[in-house]
Amino acid sequence: MTTLLLADHDNATLGSATARALSAARELGADVHVLIAGSNAKPAAEAAAKLEGVAKVLLADDPSLDHQRAEPAAALVVALAKDYDAIVAPATSSGKNILPRAAALLDVMQISDIIKVVAPNTFERPIYAGNAIETVESTDTKKVITVRGAAFPAAKEGTAAAPIETVAVTPAESGSAFVSESLSKSDRPELTAARIVVSGGRALGSSEKFNEVLLPLADKLHAAVGASRAAVDAGYAPNDFQVGQTGKIVAPELYIAIGLSGAIQHLAGMKDSKVIVAINKDEDAPIVQIADYSLIGDLFTIIPELDKALG
Amino acid sequence: MKVLVPIKQVIDANVRPRVKADGTGVDLANVKLSINPFCEIAVEEAIRLKEKGKASEIVVVSIGPAKAQEIIRSAYALGADRGLFVETEERVEPLAVAKVLQAIIAAEQPGLVILGKQAIDDDSNQTGQMLAGLLGWPQATFASKLEVDGDRATVTREVDGGLETLALTLPAIVTTDLRLNNPRYPTLPNIMKAKKKAIDVKKPEDFGIDITPRLKVLKVSEPPARKPGIKVASAEELVKDLKAAGVL
Amino acid sequence: MPDYHAPVDDMVYLLEEIFKADGVFAELPPYSEVNVDLARTVLEEAGRLCSNVLRPINLSGDIEGCRLENGVVTLPKGFKEAYKAFVEGGWPALSLEPEYGGQGLPRTIQILVDEMLSGSNLSFGLVAGLTRGAVETIEAHAPADIKSKYLPKMIEGTWSGAMALTEAQAGSDLGLLKTSAKPRGDGSYTISGSKIFISSGDQDLTENVIHLVLARLPDAPPGSRGISLFLSPKFLVNEDGTLGARNNVNVGSLEHKMGIHGHATCVMNYDDAQGWLIGEPNRGLNAMFTMMNAERLFVGVQGLGLGEASYQTASAYAKERKQGRVPGGKETCTIIEHPDVRKMLLTMLSFIEAARALTVFTALEMDKEKTHPDAEVRKTATGLIALLTPVIKAAFTDFGFETTVLGQQVLGGHGYIREWGQEQFVRDARIAMIYEGTNGIQAQDLVLRKLTLDAGAPVGTFFAFISETLAQAAGQPATAAIAQRLKTAFEQLQATTKKLQAGDFANATDQNGAANDYLRFFALVTFGWLWLRMALTTIAKGEAANSRDKRKLALAEFFTSRILPQTASLAEQIEAGSKPLMALESDAF
Repeated sequence: MTTLLLADHDNATLGSATARALSAARELGADVHVLIAGSNAKPAAEAAAKLEGVAKVLLADDPSLDHQRAEPAAALVVALAKDYDAIVAPATSSGKNILPRAAALLDVMQISDIIKVVAPNTFERPIYAGNAIETVESTDTKKVITVRGAAFPAAKEGTAAAPIETVAVTPAESGSAFVSESLSKSDRPELTAARIVVSGGRALGSSEKFNEVLLPLADKLHAAVGASRAAVDAGYAPNDFQVGQTGKIVAPELYIAIGLSGAIQHLAGMKDSKVIVAINKDEDAPIVQIADYSLIGDLFTIIPELDKALG
Repeated sequence: MKVLVPIKQVIDANVRPRVKADGTGVDLANVKLSINPFCEIAVEEAIRLKEKGKASEIVVVSIGPAKAQEIIRSAYALGADRGLFVETEERVEPLAVAKVLQAIIAAEQPGLVILGKQAIDDDSNQTGQMLAGLLGWPQATFASKLEVDGDRATVTREVDGGLETLALTLPAIVTTDLRLNNPRYPTLPNIMKAKKKAIDVKKPEDFGIDITPRLKVLKVSEPPARKPGIKVASAEELVKDLKAAGVL
Repeated sequence: MPDYHAPVDDMVYLLEEIFKADGVFAELPPYSEVNVDLARTVLEEAGRLCSNVLRPINLSGDIEGCRLENGVVTLPKGFKEAYKAFVEGGWPALSLEPEYGGQGLPRTIQILVDEMLSGSNLSFGLVAGLTRGAVETIEAHAPADIKSKYLPKMIEGTWSGAMALTEAQAGSDLGLLKTSAKPRGDGSYTISGSKIFISSGDQDLTENVIHLVLARLPDAPPGSRGISLFLSPKFLVNEDGTLGARNNVNVGSLEHKMGIHGHATCVMNYDDAQGWLIGEPNRGLNAMFTMMNAERLFVGVQGLGLGEASYQTASAYAKERKQGRVPGGKETCTIIEHPDVRKMLLTMLSFIEAARALTVFTALEMDKEKTHPDAEVRKTATGLIALLTPVIKAAFTDFGFETTVLGQQVLGGHGYIREWGQEQFVRDARIAMIYEGTNGIQAQDLVLRKLTLDAGAPVGTFFAFISETLAQAAGQPATAAIAQRLKTAFEQLQATTKKLQAGDFANATDQNGAANDYLRFFALVTFGWLWLRMALTTIAKGEAANSRDKRKLALAEFFTSRILPQTASLAEQIEAGSKPLMALESDAF
């Protein structure tokens, strides 16, 4: 009984999604081996070896695996699969790309995007964009699973490093070739697609303060910036920042509303956010009533403290 | 080149799904059903390829209950040439769908298969990748740009943190992301023509494929309700809570 | 701005379950291939266009308005692109003649699409509606060469149509109009005069605008029997169908108005413009009136569409807005919990759904009138349409306006500001009570002409439908109360009708003064009849009734208990006669 965890990495570093998927993999109750499929990926393998609960790291290092194209990566997973009862990957764009291909080759029906391990063969997963939760039991002898990172805590680094074992790779003709990539790491994400949105209201008082207080916080969180209509109307923020009925409708993982009261048309544009934080001096403000977490006080004191707490 | 576009009927994107009280699933009675938005993008992309002279024929395929045939007509109204419908009242999982498609592709021999990246009902995000695996074809998922030149396709993919461009040798599988295109509206004359166009109807048995589900759905439930909010005393406490909630 | 969702399910419910439209279409040879399934697809796609293309430019179009610069009219941003999508989709051709490129679908489908156009963007919808009116008039009265020259482009939507009737001194009374037409000797005419309030007189959406102009020939008798109809295009059309020289058809100015700001309402000057006679000399009003029923049905449906749009926003808002507490409650509740808010929403809804039912009923009669093989059926249909047209035009736009005001009220202050779009619906709805024959004129038409038409045959036919439904309800305990309320109101309506038919009042002034109240009375009973039909349909389903069916039953109960009793008061007002109206000398005002 062993579980294989296909890591998400960029050869040099290990994505945090892997540490979260590791927590899910460990809940299956078996030893977990982490597979690093990459090129010059020793640093990623070493990072994986440090994670608590990793029994072994398999390093498949070959130029053909450089960009983790689905064809060679899935072939590698399939080649290793016979020794494993479960194959897990984080539901990142890479995991979602590779794992179903491997599952089909193994004649296994994959369980996508699990948010809970009920039993080693039973899982909860969101369907209908999270409007319903499905509990499924797999009848396949081998399980192939992708994991929604946000639902599991990240595994911490352990005290001892797990051994790293090299796996031989036989490159084969795949029909696909990497051409280029453009990663927008530093740019602020687009409002409707962002995982985190930091939104400001009229309490910011001026466009200077809006920029000075909100933007650095947003950049630190890799968040998009939004604004209430009142702030846009007052000229503190440009039109395309407006969140709400007449502006953009957003549903990020985390919505931080700073100094905005939460007029009904604003709430209509963000109420489906997963976690809502209100930072407001008025504890009766409508935004506070719907927030998961609220911090009452002056935003000009709170934001610097928040900045410090984020490190 | 023939382009094959597998499509699925799902609950309309504008309808808020309601979980049935007995926990057996989502209530689909009297609910508007439509072509899955990602599938519609796939049909649109195929039509654009045809308009550019890169594709000669667009064949749409769907698998599902009898009433799902409607979406073949929706695809006809957009501009698909021919439709194949595999009728079954059973729940069909992505793996089974991929197997049926594999059999259809063996007969149809398309040069390119374009699918939606996922269906907005089960959110599996598997069928295209599985089909590529079964066929041994190259794949490019989550496409935001597709160019076809001879027997090569250049595909820009939306990946975490940016874009990646791949070159594929055809035949290949491409799955669509939201930004690939904006599907056109069907024209009234095409809607009327689509109503009269024939659909080739088959059964899974015709392909000798066992579609028995591998996953047992034990229960479908409402997502946990929003918990009453809590007041935190300080910025440190807020950060700690947000980290614990997994959003930071 | 809130979204618009085309109420396709409700429309299909009416076609399928209440009016069994498949059976009707099957009897009409040109529509033998039309069925509810096709209707649903067409309505869904039209609805998508309305929601995604037309609605997003409704509020912005209202704010921006139309411009006239150097004689050129420009519509608000986005209208041109939206119109292009509308034309490329083939939507202008929906119900028009296949001979000239139309899709030949029934009016029943067209009118439901019209409801969506009105609800999502009335300013835009009017362009298409006016073109259709012009097309139908040309189709019915123009000589073959004019038809083949103009109709294909108009049906396609490349050219639009406008109806030029009103002049400064000639509004409801067109007999007073002065625009002249003189023969040129080559079969065409020279048209001179000014027209006001010309909807879609010009715009930048289409290559050409085809005006249908009412004017007087040199030897014409005075009054309404001396008016002829002419076609006068913005650009003259060459023999090969290409555009030629600019005709002297000019926009004098744009009217500054309360609503429909996205629609160009023009003062038009015909300065020796070239035109061609449509129909017989001096029979222009008759030619125009051929299309009057269809036009008035379209205007009525504008009230319905705007009411629906306002309801959608109001109901969504009421389910989210938290204010106040329910009696005894501790938590702040959503305002939908408050009985008074519910009453507003139910009042809106019970009008909307009954009005939509009457729309479908009437449009099916229009399809029968046009295409049924049996002359008797056609004749009955003609009578019913004549009777119901003024009722629909006036009652739908009166109630429609009241509905938009309620929809505004539900939002409180948010209904008065622009952002939610509710105040725009109020302003846009207001015009429909005025144009295409004011609602006062409609009421006169109903009482003075339609009640006694064919010795009262149409009203007799219509009342027989109501009696028949009441008979069906007999012995049905679940709808007994609903039926009883309808029966009471209906009996009162029959009695009042008889008096009005017989002129059984002191003088015609009484009929005149009663007309408005009577039309409302007639409409309320008609809605009650439709609610009973829907309620009976729910009951007939027994256990199989779904949530929608149960909702209909609840609305029938609401309408007949909380709205229909207004008829008693209307009956009493009518009974009071015109004496109180005429007591004061004119100088006393």
